[in-house]
Amino acid sequence: MTRQNINRFALTLVGVVAFGLPLVLRSPTYLHILILLYLYAYFTTSWNLVGGFAGVLPLGHAAFVGIGAYTSTILSLQYGVSPWLGMIVGGILAAIAGVLIGLPTFKMRGAYFALATIAFSEGIRVMVENIDYLGPFKLNGPSGFQIPPKNIGLVNYMFIGKEPYYYIVLVMLIGVLAFTYFISRSKLGYYLNAGGEEPEAAMALGINVARAKLIAMAMSSFLTALAGTFYAQFTLYIHPKSVISLDLSFEIAFIALIGGRGSIAGPVLGALLLRPVSDFSRIYFGATLPGLHLIIFGTVLVLVMIYQPRGLQEPLTRAYNRLLDKIIGQTAQGKVRHEYS
Amino acid sequence: MGSIYGLTALGLTIIFGVLKVINFAHGSLLMVGMYVAYWAIVFTGLHPYISLIIVVPVMYFFGFYLQDIVIKPIFKAEKDVREPITVIIVTTGVWYILDNLTLLIFGPQYRGIQDNPLRGKMIEFGEMMISVPKLWGFVAAVITAAAVYWFFQKTRMGRAIRATSLDREAASLMGINQFKVYNVAFGIGTATAGIAAVTLVPFYNIFPTVGVLFDIKGFIIVVLGGLGSIGGAILGGIIIGLIESIGPQFMTATWTEAIVYGLFLLVLFVKPSGLFGVKYDW
Repeated sequence: MTRQNINRFALTLVGVVAFGLPLVLRSPTYLHILILLYLYAYFTTSWNLVGGFAGVLPLGHAAFVGIGAYTSTILSLQYGVSPWLGMIVGGILAAIAGVLIGLPTFKMRGAYFALATIAFSEGIRVMVENIDYLGPFKLNGPSGFQIPPKNIGLVNYMFIGKEPYYYIVLVMLIGVLAFTYFISRSKLGYYLNAGGEEPEAAMALGINVARAKLIAMAMSSFLTALAGTFYAQFTLYIHPKSVISLDLSFEIAFIALIGGRGSIAGPVLGALLLRPVSDFSRIYFGATLPGLHLIIFGTVLVLVMIYQPRGLQEPLTRAYNRLLDKIIGQTAQGKVRHEYS
Repeated sequence: MGSIYGLTALGLTIIFGVLKVINFAHGSLLMVGMYVAYWAIVFTGLHPYISLIIVVPVMYFFGFYLQDIVIKPIFKAEKDVREPITVIIVTTGVWYILDNLTLLIFGPQYRGIQDNPLRGKMIEFGEMMISVPKLWGFVAAVITAAAVYWFFQKTRMGRAIRATSLDREAASLMGINQFKVYNVAFGIGTATAGIAAVTLVPFYNIFPTVGVLFDIKGFIIVVLGGLGSIGGAILGGIIIGLIESIGPQFMTATWTEAIVYGLFLLVLFVKPSGLFGVKYDW
């Protein structure tokens, strides 16, 4: 058996388990937790496009979640447009917003971009909380929208039971992972990598770093907004404090960072490890020890950043490769190519 | 109020000026300072402002060791990076830990000082009514800024700090222990947050997430005033404070918040180095 075959086998196995899980697991609570887990993995993977590959630190992705959720909800509630269509519109709006923030800040270093994204997303939240009508669109201020569960069906992005949502978010996650894989192997991916690691050297080689980052930002915000629509249709209730909150932005960034920025598996791994922690600590200690999961998050984040700045995926990938070596019986003589990431 | 924003921003700008990182945990440090001040006042029954003699050293060493234990390893690991993003991330982690630890220990309730000699005191100033604790806040802000400025200009340590902030490699070649400088700078930044906390305590509620408000305002102010500029921090704070106090005369109070964010983005577009910032490479 070669290394590639094993990798392929493992991937297929994961895929089969992921698709087959709802057939075995009938408890809606666990399905709900799984759906949120995939959703967060999706968020972090699309965050990773700009936060990981481009080497900057966006801390306002909740703004794009909000734009996606609000656009599709408003269009479907007030104009009868299918949320699927609204999802695309929201994505485009979010991409425009992303470019607008990136335009002045990508030319500057380090912290400015992080600060601008925070200010932008907080600004959007304050606006939404204060405006009832934006032109012909009703925004409903701080109370947000309750989406009435009628007109159930595929066209309206509304289903009974959790299974359809499970498959939608799973397909979305696989899609965004494939997209990330494709980007990381493309010219843009190399540009981004170069610009993130050594901006001066990259620019000296004639790479337009700012432009590459802008494209990544547009893609990332577009993809994030798509999941915003999913969130709205899944929970059927959105309000500024839930979809545009700073906490959401930070959680997305944290999970991706702990998992490992700039790799494909890292953000998913982060969600896989941390979402259950937060869900179960909320279930079991939510009443007695409030905020415990955030303390765990913070501590893990600090420790990971000090001891494994590239995230948890790095040691795990190494362990995985060593395991493969053992299975194959190859000796590590430098010929082993560590391709899997 | 604006001057207290300024004080908070002052600590941020000191830390940024030297370490080249935004300290995202700054609001939490302010919160910690407020709790320290609160307990100092409650246990000893001191006049709120006298609690400074407890709060400032406590906060200084808190910041000193926070930097020494948590942040230093990263600087050691990433020697050649000029503005390590990793440090921002770590301070964010510290923010979460501090806020939620406080929530865990002290609970979510709002606290305020009972039998407070300063509560609601006003002085008349022509036609204006000025709240006494806020006036003292302004005085404290000006004195602190002047003291920090003097310290940076005149003392040996201050010179070392400035040298490190210009070029940390050259400074360490000159025999300056850059990590010690970082510790001291972080300690001073935290101590100014402590001063801000003491001036806040007499008229502001204390709760675990109080820092977040000041955190984001602080970021806006330091960018507005120019990252790393001491005068810019105070002035930026006063500008934001003015907008917030005059704004509600003309519109609902929440709208002024939106204006503040709008102003911030405008400054980023038009003059990213801020009002008083130095216009080189960031």
